[in-house]
Amino acid sequence: MPQVKIIAKNFMDMVASLPAIKLDMLYRNQFICEAILRSMPPLAKKYVLQMLYIDVPVTAKSLEEWVLADGSSKHKVAIDRLIQLRILEVIDRKKETSYKLNPTFQTNLRKHLIYGGILPREPMPSNVTVRLPTSEELDAYAHEQWECFLLQLISSGQAEKPTNFSSSMMRIFQRGLLCQREKEAPRLTESGFQFLLMDTNAQLWYIIREYISNSEEQGVDQADLIAFLLELSFHTTGEAYNMNTLTDDQRAMIKDLSDLGLVKLQQGRKDSWFIPTKLATNLSVSLTDSSSRKQGFVVVETNFRMYAYSSSKLHCEILRLFSRVEYQLPNLIVGAITKESLYNAFENGIAAEQIITFLQQNAHPRVAEKLPSVPENVTDQIRLWETDLNRVEMTPAHFYDDFPSRDVFEAASDLARVHCGLLWEDAKKMRMVVKAEIHMLMREQLRGQNK
Amino acid sequence: MASAPSKLYADDVSLVVVLVDTNPFFWSASSLSFSQFLSHVLAFLNAILTLNQLNQVVVIATGYNSCNYIFDSSSDLNQSFENGRMPVMCSSLLQKLEEFLIKDEQLSKEVPEGRIKSSLLSGSLSMALCYIQRVFRSGALHPHPRILCLQGSPDGPEQYVAIMNAIFSAQRSMVPIDSCYMGAQNSAFLQQASYITGGVHHKPQHLDGLFQYLMTIFATDLHSRSFLHLPKPVGVDFRASCFCHKNTIDMGYICSVCLSIFCKHHKKCSTCGSVFGQAQSEAASTSDKKRKTPET
Repeated sequence: MPQVKIIAKNFMDMVASLPAIKLDMLYRNQFICEAILRSMPPLAKKYVLQMLYIDVPVTAKSLEEWVLADGSSKHKVAIDRLIQLRILEVIDRKKETSYKLNPTFQTNLRKHLIYGGILPREPMPSNVTVRLPTSEELDAYAHEQWECFLLQLISSGQAEKPTNFSSSMMRIFQRGLLCQREKEAPRLTESGFQFLLMDTNAQLWYIIREYISNSEEQGVDQADLIAFLLELSFHTTGEAYNMNTLTDDQRAMIKDLSDLGLVKLQQGRKDSWFIPTKLATNLSVSLTDSSSRKQGFVVVETNFRMYAYSSSKLHCEILRLFSRVEYQLPNLIVGAITKESLYNAFENGIAAEQIITFLQQNAHPRVAEKLPSVPENVTDQIRLWETDLNRVEMTPAHFYDDFPSRDVFEAASDLARVHCGLLWEDAKKMRMVVKAEIHMLMREQLRGQNK
Repeated sequence: MASAPSKLYADDVSLVVVLVDTNPFFWSASSLSFSQFLSHVLAFLNAILTLNQLNQVVVIATGYNSCNYIFDSSSDLNQSFENGRMPVMCSSLLQKLEEFLIKDEQLSKEVPEGRIKSSLLSGSLSMALCYIQRVFRSGALHPHPRILCLQGSPDGPEQYVAIMNAIFSAQRSMVPIDSCYMGAQNSAFLQQASYITGGVHHKPQHLDGLFQYLMTIFATDLHSRSFLHLPKPVGVDFRASCFCHKNTIDMGYICSVCLSIFCKHHKKCSTCGSVFGQAQSEAASTSDKKRKTPET
């Protein structure tokens, strides 16, 4: 597998890329219908609702009439998405395209609207007296577990308590994020750096995606996993659910998920229970949502100094990516954003925008109230330093000299000019530089003249 | 205004405050029965909640004498689970609605005969706005709020001042008021409310298909509204009610100081107390009896 390009890609893209039969099977599950509806762009959601109780195909033309002129691009995106997810079935008849909702999806969604959201499974009855973790404890648990996993991911040695993932599994996660040269400590790749700066939800999706594609290789059905994950996101945070309600595959998976901090396992006297954390219930929320936003910790001052109120090793590692860490106190990391540290980051393939969004997203609550949360002179300078590196533009080109005569030279330079490929010429010494794209053309022309 | 853009969630997260008209005088005469109406509305509420995990729905019942919150998705859904087959949302909503209707009925026995059978729209609008203000002030992030009035009863002219004040405060805090009028005559109050606040007003032609109207028009989140064709106001009824007798009037007298409206000439403004001059010679005013008088 070639290096994975990390974009904050939605899980739904993965769903959309499933084969048609599997998608149709997924739609038999009511929760998946709901989760998929939620993941769509606003206009697409709107169209689904509008067409939910229309049983005859709707022509593409009348659909277009719903939108104003300046919304046509959004309209196209919405329709494309719907077709991609096979929610809209395209019927071509007599040069007229019309759309119809996927019948399974339609019936399930109708059922959902009429009977309301039913929970996937019953939570633990209240008469069982087991102390459940409070929501703060649960959040802390999820956070700790996730951080531990990340730390192990980027530098296996540093984690205090290793997770139960086998090293082969870990290697799969690391694929694309780390690169290891012989007998050297593994280094983060460009996408590895980008991964660290993404928000938790995006990171989670990335890991889950790797996890799912890996399970596929091991013979577990991808659609089943996706269905279970989506179902999990509809459970109530902090309620305990009985493990007996799960299938064997799901039970195996939930152990892995607890390592990621998605669920907390609790052993009762007779049964064992799993308690979904916020990480799990946020799974089906689209990535742009800030609902999962954590409490920030970074304060950046106008003099480029940075104070991070955090005791986490992971945070320190992340900050080290683009700043010079000066002191590390028990609950405070003091650093400075310098030109050198930033150049280091740029070299590693981190973009200025990524650093800025990271600083903004993780701004300490005190400064987050202010606008802008990161001083403007700092953000501007970070961008300027990045553009400094981009002052030189590379164009592949060929250099020509030793022309037999001035006529040949002039004919050649004219030809290059006509094709907009002349980059530089020195008429006195009869030399020129021409873009590589038209090299073949030039060669033919020159050969023809030589004869 | 009250809401800084940075405090908003992503584009289409919405808080919909639905004002449901429960006026028995209207529903007893309507072609659509109240229970049918409720099933349309419940499905609509479900749809809104389905659209986005962060969407929030609040239902306020507008009764004949009173109004009250009957459902709030942010608190009611987390309550303990009902064992029956009915989903939590419906059962808790219906239960509260029943309690509300009984209370409302008890109050109505004390009301004298002869007044227009309107429901207490001004009260429920104010409650909705209070709720939205609370959302604005609490927490760092909040959804885009909007109000949807599902109204059937005729306008009560005596509520004119209160409703207009509610409309203007909604306009100030940039909360659109959508209105769906199910009664026979169109409601001037609701038309004005939607027109002033930038909401959508619609009077469905066929009440049987209410759900489709709700989905097509009123389920549209504020973000998508800028791309979609929605009903445009045609001929908004801008008539006002006078402050003295609460009659709806075409022409009247306006206090030049506080803009209060009167159907007859008064010596003194009842709202701000400014003393008006003599109405110009009685002979002159007989020719055009009712006119706006900018006299001090």
